[in-house]
Amino acid sequence: MANTKIMIVDDDPDLRQALRLRLRANDYDTVNAGDGYTAIATAYKERPDLIILDLGLPAGDGFVVLDRLQKDDKLSAIPVIVLTARDPQSSEQRALQAGATAFFQKPADNAELLEVIRATLPRAATGTGLPS
Amino acid sequence: MTKKATHVLLIEDNPGDADLVRLRLVEGKSAAEVNCVNRLSDGLESLKQSSPSVILLDLNLPDSQGAETFRRVREKAPDVPIVILSGQDDEALAMKALHQGVQDYLVKGAISSNSLDRAMRYAVERQALLRSLEMLRKQQLEFKNQFLSHVSHELRTPLTCIHQFTTILLDGLAGEVGPEQRDHLKTILKSVNQLGAMVRDLLEASRAESGKIRIEPRCVVIGDLLRQAVAMMQPIAHEKEIGLEVGVDTRIPFVHGDPGRILEVLINLIENAIKFTPQGGAVTVQASLVPTDPDFVYVAVTDSGCGIVPEARALIFERLYQDPNAVDNSRKGLGLGLFIAKELVNLHGGRIWVASEVGNGSTFSFTLPLYSLAKLLFPVITHQDRMRDSLVLVKVVLRPLVSPVRANWKETCQRCLEILERCVYLDKDLVLPPISASGAEETFPVVASTDLDRANIMMARIREQLEKVAGLNGAGKLEVSASAVPVPARGPDQSLEAQVQEVARVVGEMVATVPGGKQDSPQQK
Repeated sequence: MANTKIMIVDDDPDLRQALRLRLRANDYDTVNAGDGYTAIATAYKERPDLIILDLGLPAGDGFVVLDRLQKDDKLSAIPVIVLTARDPQSSEQRALQAGATAFFQKPADNAELLEVIRATLPRAATGTGLPS
Repeated sequence: MTKKATHVLLIEDNPGDADLVRLRLVEGKSAAEVNCVNRLSDGLESLKQSSPSVILLDLNLPDSQGAETFRRVREKAPDVPIVILSGQDDEALAMKALHQGVQDYLVKGAISSNSLDRAMRYAVERQALLRSLEMLRKQQLEFKNQFLSHVSHELRTPLTCIHQFTTILLDGLAGEVGPEQRDHLKTILKSVNQLGAMVRDLLEASRAESGKIRIEPRCVVIGDLLRQAVAMMQPIAHEKEIGLEVGVDTRIPFVHGDPGRILEVLINLIENAIKFTPQGGAVTVQASLVPTDPDFVYVAVTDSGCGIVPEARALIFERLYQDPNAVDNSRKGLGLGLFIAKELVNLHGGRIWVASEVGNGSTFSFTLPLYSLAKLLFPVITHQDRMRDSLVLVKVVLRPLVSPVRANWKETCQRCLEILERCVYLDKDLVLPPISASGAEETFPVVASTDLDRANIMMARIREQLEKVAGLNGAGKLEVSASAVPVPARGPDQSLEAQVQEVARVVGEMVATVPGGKQDSPQQK
């Protein structure tokens, strides 16, 4: 678990820091991006095992990022958890249809978020379907 | 306004009166094109073809009389101004019509070309004004929605920051925290959570007001929702030493509703009940059937709190209402909870009300429509005026492997349902609406007109098809089981409908006992 790398994409530096602290405390390595463009570039360079993605972002919002990730063979397997201040009624379906594996509205319950991260990761690590 | 010819639709059955009006129109200054009909039905027909600038309407026509006449014209052409031509004896009625959206009235016999001309022009102007007012109202509502949506989004970001760093401190991720500091941090966290709930309510209420809340009704076991709501609220009740109990009549068939929304209503009512009940009190949540109202289930949340004064009872479901006598005045909330609850219940086709006695607690009740199994089953389990010989209930249960499920679980379930429907014979088998149990488990009950042997073949087909569903691998676990439905013999005087009702009741019980395998103590009343 020590080498599992999670990319945090959020335009708010304080929230990035909070999430980084939380994830590091749970033995995850983290990388950051503060906008859509950097998110995609960092995803190429760092190949994270999982991405936590905000929707409202400068330079390519979350949906643009989701779309780019989906269309790229090298990145499409990375699971994306959307974590946004936006309202689920208007955004949840759209995010899931765009390829996100889970949707959380801010502020999210930490335990719940960590559990979904845990449940999502092994599939990413092995790159195949999860042997049950 | 425009100087084009005024198109007048004249609905008048008396030829003399009609001619007089025509004459006055010709004398008048404005160019008018008159289309005259002498029956309401012809008038309505003409309105279907084209929209005139103004309608001149006699209320007493061969095929319609009095208030009914303008009601029907208004219904057909809500945007066209109406001027009533009234006799001297029905001026009172014309006055009444003014309050219901008619623009003006003229008393026949006292019509001059000037007064007619003016009445028509003013009617057109006023109608246009009304229309722009209505448009403005809609725009403002829309603006308010967008504004609130934006505000709640912006509020959530700092809210999240406070929440995150408070929990980081509380969980000791930034070093040791002393007991007193821990207490203070917990207070911060509690307040932040309250703030979050208020932000959510604000957006929800604004949506309810403009009819933008969506509900997705399905087949629901109401008992499960009651237990889930009570389990969620138990910690808060416990903290205040309030007994929180649930009682469900096990005879209750399925309810037609949106499980998430019903849960929202329940939590809201229970939260209120706890809030207004003193320490050591009791809150009960019950679902029951009322013989005089067989199409609905009655849900009641009863507390042993301070009760509500009669004046407040009438206002309590209004937006922004807050009880001025509330004991716990420190945290009042926004006064939106019951308003949202009312809107949600109404969207389900149910109603909500309160009964209370000051000092003796309150009972908030709401109704939800029952799912009529019998109606669904009838065409499938009967054949040529009699019940089919054998019936089997196949239960397909889909359990998520990961908990909590947030991912594409809903879609997976929907896909399974679609495939399941292709696995059965449409004329003699029926896939019942899925049942969402607590958690994310879904049960798809299938009633098949067959015996157990042949049901096995069907089950094999279902298993084979559903296992193939992409995403089911690793996402969920499938369980398929079958049991025979005992078909009671038809009594000598019993109608086929009554027999189907009986079978539907049995099927309902068989399905309802599945999720979680729990059984309530029956509460027969």
